[in-house]
Amino acid sequence: MATAPLQVYSFYIFDRHTECIYSKRWTTPPPSNPSAQSQRPSLPNGTAATNIASKRATKDDNDAKLIFGTIFSLRRMVRQLGGQDDLFLSYRTGEYKLHYFETPTQLKFVLLTDTRVGSMRTVLHQIWATLYVEYVVKSPLAPLEHRKGEGVANELFEGGLESFMRSIFSIPQ
Amino acid sequence: MVVFALLIINKAGGLIYNRTFAPGLQKLDSNDYLILAGTFHGIHAISRSINPAPPAQPPPGNRKPPTTGIESLESSHFRLTCYQTPTGVKFLLFTSPEQPNTELVIRRCYEIYGDFVMKNPFYSMEMPIRVEKFDRALGGYLVRPS
Repeated sequence: MATAPLQVYSFYIFDRHTECIYSKRWTTPPPSNPSAQSQRPSLPNGTAATNIASKRATKDDNDAKLIFGTIFSLRRMVRQLGGQDDLFLSYRTGEYKLHYFETPTQLKFVLLTDTRVGSMRTVLHQIWATLYVEYVVKSPLAPLEHRKGEGVANELFEGGLESFMRSIFSIPQ
Repeated sequence: MVVFALLIINKAGGLIYNRTFAPGLQKLDSNDYLILAGTFHGIHAISRSINPAPPAQPPPGNRKPPTTGIESLESSHFRLTCYQTPTGVKFLLFTSPEQPNTELVIRRCYEIYGDFVMKNPFYSMEMPIRVEKFDRALGGYLVRPS
């Protein structure tokens, strides 16, 4: 039986100050409804395009905040119920699955994928150990604290992440 | 393989039933359980809005299926399975991580709830469940003789 290839939707890194220092999405926005577009009041093309782009940017920003809030609360809940040494690993809804990995320095790695994907803990650990530590922490130009993601999204890290993800998931070109 | 606890949350986020079947989770007082129920109710709603998956095209003539919130959560010590009924009541089942068929177990709990709580004329809706027969039926189903 042919099964659809596994998909990855997005990836986030949060630092210990609750700030999102890196985010990456692999999903393409759904094609907007043509009938809805024709009903739109006629704007000069440029304005409309920048509006949509800025709306998407704020939505991504808000999503990152919501995801942080969710994992923060779930992590607390899991600790409360399972004891101090319990770790929150993942949750699944009908549409997606969220994988979570936290380093001892409270760096939080979050991966959103298809629901059929198994445990991604080792993958997130790999991203931390072989990509983040190698290309971001060891980079002589990287600052100690990555305010607003400064120094994280460098060329080597981006490239390494992209090829690593492509080796596991099917990502549309 | 054990079932640790069952929580029932009404559609407003209030805890209406809370029972532990086996030791394994930390002991919390009733106030903490109420907070936990409220928190989970909120996170469940948020988890629906951060859905990154592209919307699936419904078959022609059908309505788009509603997005579900958290259905199962895994930690290193336990697994939480959540089932939301069409009326918005949430059933939360805490089991050991290797427990199979949690979906079936939770459906059966919902059936027992339907039989002994909903059919009880003295139960007032959205209020804490104090129905002796429900307790007994759940105990008979979830407490395994060791």
